Parts: sequence; structure tokens; C-alpha cells
Amino acid sequence: MTTARELGPAAAIAPGEHAVFDLGNRQIGIFNVDGEYYALPNACFHQNGPLCRGLVRGTVMADEDSGWKREWRLDGEVVVCPWHALEFHIKTGRCIAYPRRSLPTYPVTVRDGTLVVEV
Amino acid sequence: MATGTPHVLAEHRRSPLLDQLFVVDLDVHINDSAADLIPYCELPWRKSLEISASIPQRYLDTPGFAPQFVPWALMSSIDRRTTVTDPLQLREDMDLLGVDVPVLFPDSMLLHALVKPPDFAVAIARAYNRWLIEQWLDRDPSFKGALLAPHHDPVVAAEEIRRYAGHPGVACVYLPSCCVDPLYGHRRYDPLYDAAQECGLPVVLHSVTAINPIFPFNLQAFETLFSAHVFSHTIAMAANAVSMLETGVPVRFPALKIAFTEGGIAWVPWLAMRLDKEYSERRTDVPLLTERPSHYLQQMYFATQPIEEPERLADMATLMGLFDGENNVVFASDWPHHDFDHPDKVLQIPLSDEARAKVMGLNAARLLGLEVPAR
Repeated sequence: MTTARELGPAAAIAPGEHAVFDLGNRQIGIFNVDGEYYALPNACFHQNGPLCRGLVRGTVMADEDSGWKREWRLDGEVVVCPWHALEFHIKTGRCIAYPRRSLPTYPVTVRDGTLVVEV
Repeated sequence: MATGTPHVLAEHRRSPLLDQLFVVDLDVHINDSAADLIPYCELPWRKSLEISASIPQRYLDTPGFAPQFVPWALMSSIDRRTTVTDPLQLREDMDLLGVDVPVLFPDSMLLHALVKPPDFAVAIARAYNRWLIEQWLDRDPSFKGALLAPHHDPVVAAEEIRRYAGHPGVACVYLPSCCVDPLYGHRRYDPLYDAAQECGLPVVLHSVTAINPIFPFNLQAFETLFSAHVFSHTIAMAANAVSMLETGVPVRFPALKIAFTEGGIAWVPWLAMRLDKEYSERRTDVPLLTERPSHYLQQMYFATQPIEEPERLADMATLMGLFDGENNVVFASDWPHHDFDHPDKVLQIPLSDEARAKVMGLNAARLLGLEVPAR
């Protein structure tokens, strides 16, 4: 069962920015990626570091599509844990290093200018 | 409302078990800049420190002080403080980590074995030890320190050990193991071991990543720091352990305690098995050893960080069982460096309560001669 929680004005988190909210029993990070809002738990599954306090940037990937050359991808869509630099895709919660593992994501909507997250 | 940015350790809800245990951390780093050591260094080398200090500070990369060749493309993006620059900050960090007793090691002096000329290296080792005691150990009795032993002159290293061994904050001797030449089994180090044994101070080997023709730092074979870092700590520990066994250090200095830090622990059973295999055929090469090499290796101590993280964490308990790890593994965090381990990670290894208490603090208390407070 999910609960809708209001988190204040959406305008407080501009595109490219993110912030951490304490919901009492958990902390979540809200990210604004190109005007869309996403939510992740503020806890990395590696050593439980405060993931959502980390930098948001892109990442380096290389595969057959890139001719095995390194490419900069997912610019502005990756958060990097400040403890040990494990990377997560903000939109999906997918761990970049261990793509079979993901963090939960929470739906975020804007109602009358207010951020609402379903947790 | 969004919360402000707290201390990077504050939002982790640590295990309550941590507060029930006596926790000793055999690897915590304090930032030793060239400027810090200037007032403690004699002439003419104080002038050299002044020049190093005039260069904008770079982490583990200061000409004439922490000399490094750094060819790797930089990509890491850890957004947090990775240095500790004052004792109050360190105590706060330790309280958040749940560490009772941190054992202090340097930052820049991790590269001390590379410093030249030897007279300068000896001067800054002396300066570091004075600075460590006055600026850290004298300011918080919960801090314990590792005296820097300049490998360039083991006789001076022995003098430093005897000079400071009586200080209540001095708990061990740090042997800089990055690019050290010769390795620590060489008989030139005997005066150092003699002093450490006489004073009851263990020696603790600690490496760092660098490129150098000296084995095992000829890491130019690799393209990335990913690869170099796999070897720079772990193989340095293994190489020095073999060197010390080869010349019978644990036989010739039977009361000397030897510890290895920042190599993780998975190398220990691998090395023990390789050594025992060689011993069966080549005992005559190492006639000082009267037991199989693994016997001596198991008398040494091994710090956890960077703890291996297999998918099945129970494998770590199995691994420790291969070398009596319950009695010779000691916790280390390596705070505040990029690859520090939170104590909770080590607590998660499925060990008995007794083994857990030993690994988190009681083994280190035995190693360092610490009193264990009643809880």
C-alpha cells in the first residue's frame, strides 16, 4: 500500500538539481531531470551510503554499438554515491555496475505546483 | 522541506551492535601537508618543505614531498571530503562511524619510501613523528598513532622508535610499503625490528598506489587505475610478507608483532598455500623456518579494509577459517579515503558473536597492547 506525501514546491528543485527529504521512516532523494521528477531511496545497497547526496552527471560506457570505444552517456541521469562512487540511473533505479540490481523508484507528480511522491 | 546537507556519515543508520562492541580501527588517515611539517623539520630540509608547501596542494601528488607519477585519466566523482585535517573533526568522524580507538596513519607519507635524498626523507620522517604526537596524539587520548619508520635509514628508524615508544599514544610502527626497496625482509632492517621488539611495538605495513620500476609497482603494464589498484596494496603486502619469511624475521624476532593493512584479507590463504607448497620442496632455502610458512603467517595480523565483497558474504567467513582469521583479522576502515569501509560491512559477515568481537577490537587490542574498557 502506498501513501502520497507532499514535499513542498516543485519549483524549489530546478532542472539538474536534486534534494533529500526525510519522511520519518525513510529518506528519499528527488531529482529533476530535464523537468521530470524522479525519486530514489537515499541509501546505496553497497554499504548503505547516502546515495542521493551524490553528484548527478553522466557516465562512461562502451559496447558493440560504440565499436567498443568509451562514450559519455546518460548525461544528467546518473547519481554517484558519495561514499564509494557506485552509480545509479536516476530514471530507473538501475545500478550501472550491476545492471541486474536496482533500487526501488517512487512515482513523483506535481499537483498545483506541489511535489507529491507515492511511497 | 528538503533537508540540509548533513555530515556524509550521519544519514547511515548504523547497526546497534556496533555500540556494544569495542571497536579499534587499524587504518585512519590524517592529512599531513608539507606546510604542516615545516615547523617540525630541521634545516636545511625545512627549506625544501617550504618550496613543496608553496605548490598548490594536490592529493598524494606533491613534488618533493609526496612524489607521484599519475598517468591515469581522472573519472571518479566522489563528492565528499576525503581528508581529515584536525583532531576535533576526526573525533566526530569516529563517533559517527562507531570507532572507539582510531590508529592514525598519514596521507602524503604513504609515499615516503619514494622520497629522495635519504637525508631529506629521514628529516621529514622525524618531523612527521613530532607533528603526529604534538598535533594529534597529545590532543585526544583516544587516538593511537603509528610512528613513521624511515626505511632509508633503519638506524634512525630504531632511534625514533626508542625515543617515542613510551608515549601513551604511540601504538605501533608504520613501515611505508609503497615502492620500498629492498623489501622488508632485508637484514638492513634488523636494527628497526630489534628496537620495535624491545619496545613492544608492532610493525604495520601499509602501501598505496604508485608506478615505479620496483616490484610489485611496475604497474605501467596496465592501462587503468582499476588494474593498478588491484595489485598496488595487496601484492605489496604479499611480497613483503614473503620477504620477511624468507629471511626468518618472525624467527629471529620472535616477540615482534607484524601486521598488514589496506590489502584486504583474501590474499592471505592464497599466499599461505603457495608458501607451504614451496616449502615442501625448498625448505633448504629457508632453513631458519622450523615450521611450515603458514604457521608464521598466521601469527601475523591482517586488517580488513578494503574488505572483499563476494555475492555470498558467508564466503568471507569461510575464507577467514582458512587462516585462523578469527584470531588475526583486525578491523580497519581507511577513513576518509575513497575506498573506506563502514564497520557495518564487516559486522555483516556471518561470524560468531565471539569472533565478531575479536575482529572488531579485541584482536587489535592484543596486537597494540590496548586496555579493553568494560562495557
